[in-house]
Amino acid sequence: SEPHIQRAQDLERRIRVYEQMEESHDWPGALNAVDYTAMTLMTLVLVIGFYVWGY
Amino acid sequence: MANHEPVNHALEAERGDTPLLPSERMWGFWEFTYANSALAIATWAFLIGGATALFVGPKEGIAAIVIGNILGVLLATFSTCVPCGKYGTEQFTFLRSMFGGNGSRLVYVLAVVFLTMGWLAVLGLMFGRSIDGLTGLLSEHKTDPNGWIVLASGFFAILLTGIVVAKGPTSIKVFNTIVAPALIVIMGVMLYMILSKHSFAELMALPALDAPFDDKRVNFMIAVEVNMAAGFSWWPYIGNLARLSKNQRTAFWPNIIGIFAAASLGEVVGLLAASALGDSDPTVWMTHIGGLTFGVIALGFVAFANVTSMINILYTSIVGLRQLAGRKLREMSWELLVVLFCITPMAIVLFAPGIYDGFFIFLVWTSALNSALAGIGIADYFFLRRQRLNLRHLYASEGVSPFRFWKGFNPIALVALVAGFAIYVVVFNPQTLANTTFFTFATASLPSCLLAGLIHYGLTRALARQLGWGAYPKRDDSKTEALGLNAKGYSNE
Repeated sequence: SEPHIQRAQDLERRIRVYEQMEESHDWPGALNAVDYTAMTLMTLVLVIGFYVWGY
Repeated sequence: MANHEPVNHALEAERGDTPLLPSERMWGFWEFTYANSALAIATWAFLIGGATALFVGPKEGIAAIVIGNILGVLLATFSTCVPCGKYGTEQFTFLRSMFGGNGSRLVYVLAVVFLTMGWLAVLGLMFGRSIDGLTGLLSEHKTDPNGWIVLASGFFAILLTGIVVAKGPTSIKVFNTIVAPALIVIMGVMLYMILSKHSFAELMALPALDAPFDDKRVNFMIAVEVNMAAGFSWWPYIGNLARLSKNQRTAFWPNIIGIFAAASLGEVVGLLAASALGDSDPTVWMTHIGGLTFGVIALGFVAFANVTSMINILYTSIVGLRQLAGRKLREMSWELLVVLFCITPMAIVLFAPGIYDGFFIFLVWTSALNSALAGIGIADYFFLRRQRLNLRHLYASEGVSPFRFWKGFNPIALVALVAGFAIYVVVFNPQTLANTTFFTFATASLPSCLLAGLIHYGLTRALARQLGWGAYPKRDDSKTEALGLNAKGYSNE
């Protein structure tokens, strides 16, 4: 029950959760190709659109 | 020995450096959007809009605000929110994977401590000028931008900030819930007042207030660069907010609504008001925009909102400093740390108040650093590690972690950082505004970001594996090992 041992055990537990997600490729809400395409298109439209309109 | 209080691990993870589990994260899409927007809609938006008005008229200014902010925010959030949103790690703990333990401390001092001290001085002086403007509105007092009222009030604002932060975070939340909605109302009223006096076409035809060059293209690109610096200036803070979001998607998209769109809206209001009223200083144009009553309310509120922003950034910076620093700093009392942190901004207010009028110079200097940091982060996380981070290495004690690099520093990342910073200053000197032809096509932040990323990638591929640094996956590895790690022993044991 010593705090530093509790913390080490807690950190181990947290790392294992992420290792299991990594192994099973189970990442709910992860960014995917649709997100990256959307943000690229959005940026291009904003940059080119406002450049043409404003300058 | 068995009578210790049980440790609340979820709370410790939230306030400490261990990875937050998805089930513990408190912010969904709209909660993070609100927090993000509340951070963005602060008085600095008026300052940045006013600075933009110096270089270009409103039409070009709106374009510069949108272009600069979207590019800066996108690159800053790619390198921070995406990894911190995936693994729930504290931002500067995550940076151990590319800079080493001591390297991430060095980056913290450069990017957070210096930036916070500069902003405390600028916002303190803005508070001082608001009080000076209020005094001018309510009495026969003639305002003086660097007079004793401004300096004394600025000093008082930093002192008040220090006192509130020394008392702890409970009062901070109350201020935050009031300020952002009220600032939106004030912005709406300002926009209405400006548009009721000028048609949109008239506004768009107004000239720049003080264009430094004859070449319109150079002035436009400086305006873009100032706004890109504003976008990049979120780099030191935004990762630690993103880790509180439920997943990676929730950690990324609210930034587009908050620190891009909401901040841009505030800057556009500042730009239009500065252009229409002929002064880039918000504390000056607020006294002219809507008569005595509105001037008093707006200036009084801006003074209050400044102190709230100052409290936020000072509190966040000191919490981070305590987590990252060695034992000596951790054992130092909270109050003493606050006092030490406030000395430099107080000295700037008293002896170098010119930082306020040239605040965009300070902002652009920070971008020389932040753009290179973003480039290194993107190269390391996306291209070298292919979005997979070994948490066991990240939290292993520094003696055995592959992220020890060389004495806790990654020389490759530091060389890339210096190169990115240097190319920025060569392409565009923030102090003198001297620039190359290349700057008028590419800005300075983008080459800095790209060069730092390329150097970090190239040198890591060439040297890191031979030197045993960083546990980078092989170029043709399709799978980064997640388990089977030799490094044991934890940094918080």
